[in-house]
Amino acid sequence: MAEKGNSSTEQLVGIDRLREEHQKVVRDCESRIQHWNKVSGDYEALADRLKTLPDQLSYDIMVPFGPLAFMPGKLVHTNEVTVLLGDNWFAKCSAKQAQKIVDHRMKYVQRELDDLHRTAKNFEARVGFVKELEHVSNSEGGFVDIKEEVGNNEAVVTKGKHRIAHKPNSKPKLDAVLDLDEEKGESGGESGDEGSRKGILTEEELWARLDELERQEEQQDEQDRLSDTADTNGEDTSSSSEEEKEGDAAHPVNGCPKPSWTSVPHSKLPPSRDMIEEEDEEEGSCLPTIYFSHTVEPKKVRINTGKNTTLKYSERKEQKEHSKKKKKNGHNNGHSHHELHKITTPADIYRLFVDVKNGEPIPRKSILKSRSRENSVCSDTSESSAADFEERRIIGRSFSHDEATHSDTSDGITEEDSPTAVPLHPASRFEAFSGTVVEKDPMPTVVPHLTIAPPALPTILERKQEEVASDVAPPAQEPPKRVSKFKAARLQQK
Amino acid sequence: MAEAIQKKLHSEMEKYTQMQKDVSKSMSARQKLEAQLTENNIVKEELGLLESTNTVYKLIGPVLVKQDLDEAKATVTKRLEYINGEIQRYETLLKEMEKKSEQHREVLSSLQQEYQRAQGLTVGKV
Repeated sequence: MAEKGNSSTEQLVGIDRLREEHQKVVRDCESRIQHWNKVSGDYEALADRLKTLPDQLSYDIMVPFGPLAFMPGKLVHTNEVTVLLGDNWFAKCSAKQAQKIVDHRMKYVQRELDDLHRTAKNFEARVGFVKELEHVSNSEGGFVDIKEEVGNNEAVVTKGKHRIAHKPNSKPKLDAVLDLDEEKGESGGESGDEGSRKGILTEEELWARLDELERQEEQQDEQDRLSDTADTNGEDTSSSSEEEKEGDAAHPVNGCPKPSWTSVPHSKLPPSRDMIEEEDEEEGSCLPTIYFSHTVEPKKVRINTGKNTTLKYSERKEQKEHSKKKKKNGHNNGHSHHELHKITTPADIYRLFVDVKNGEPIPRKSILKSRSRENSVCSDTSESSAADFEERRIIGRSFSHDEATHSDTSDGITEEDSPTAVPLHPASRFEAFSGTVVEKDPMPTVVPHLTIAPPALPTILERKQEEVASDVAPPAQEPPKRVSKFKAARLQQK
Repeated sequence: MAEAIQKKLHSEMEKYTQMQKDVSKSMSARQKLEAQLTENNIVKEELGLLESTNTVYKLIGPVLVKQDLDEAKATVTKRLEYINGEIQRYETLLKEMEKKSEQHREVLSSLQQEYQRAQGLTVGKV
């Protein structure tokens, strides 16, 4: 209570001070108003004098002569006055003009007076308010401030424990992930379809989504690898029934990949996927097949051998390629591509390379060699220049292990604008791949013992490919090449 | 200890008062400029009221020097510009000074507290 009293007295002191200051201002204003009033009166007298001065030609006046004496004199030139304008400026003018000037000054004085009056009024009101406040705080007028002290009793009684907001599990169980993933694989095409068709996904959303999927994919890969190593012979426990269906009976040409592929032109992403084995899909249901689906959404590349062994590839590959396209020839494509294969055993490598000969699936004799000419969609190299071809051949020889990457990047180069370019050049269907895939005669005798080539090559390969890309670049040749492999394949079928 | 602080406090105080003097000086200068501005404005307006037949004089020292009306107008305009510039200059100067004096005040208060602490509870008379 003592404190309260103290504060109230402090308040009172403050109020007193405030009132004093306000009163000071008011007083000041009043004095100034007096001053200006005097000035105004002077000017009025002057105006009067000026009005009457020119009435006569001369006046008899008593001229002040020092402080004590006057002497008689005469005032002539009655219509001639010198006006001090201010700042030591003088002007000689007639009485009439002088009157004008006087009027002008009167106006100014009036303005000043008005201002001062307003200020004074304002502060008087304030003084009144302060007085009232003083009354109130002195509780003279029967007013009391109701004050309530807020104590420090923070210890609010709560029953039981405080509740904790749990974060949602960032890492769900592996099983759940697997299931989720399968489902997504099932619906991936459609959802991707929708996404791309509507075009509602902004780039950021897209990337966020891709990141998320990448994470999931990593887990999935791990799972796959585990199960793969568990039974190398192919009974892949991790592959879902849905996938088996796809691999055995369902022929996904009309299924997942195709619709999603058709949807791609609507999306912002260029159809970067290259369908190495698109053609193969049509051959028969039990063929070893590589499916690529073309969606913005979780993309899976399944490499399905006849033994139901399924490898899944994350769409990170695609992502990389996407970024590569953005960056124009990013350097990380081939590299990341290989990292993602997760090849743990030599057997896994063979699953990646499958040829189709006369409608029969033939495991590649040597993955170091390019596919046979007759089967390949991308076999037509005629368009490329000889030097180009030569170089490619070299690459093919030394790095044919990375064939998939080859065609990948080649598509990246040639297919960039394919969705728009395709209708323009329907006839030049093979040209899209002319620059990139090296075709060699199959060498059946080569024993595939060389397949354990380390996947460390891509860096060199990448460099080479860039050269290739620059070779292919000549603008005269470029336009006809912009045809997607798919388009080409389909046109061929027709 | 207390001695040193007191010495420091004293010097700071002197500096601060000096600063305040400066501030008030420039403040009054600025007020003067303001008055001159209004005066010159009036002169300009009244020169506008005059006609070319009127003769204009400038009081220089004890003599009135005859001036051309247009010349006088130009001179007054120039003077107005100058005054405006000066006002601006003083404005920035004042702002700077205020900032400095604020800092000074803070230093002073902290010093005072230190001094008081050093002297126990006896309040230094500063």
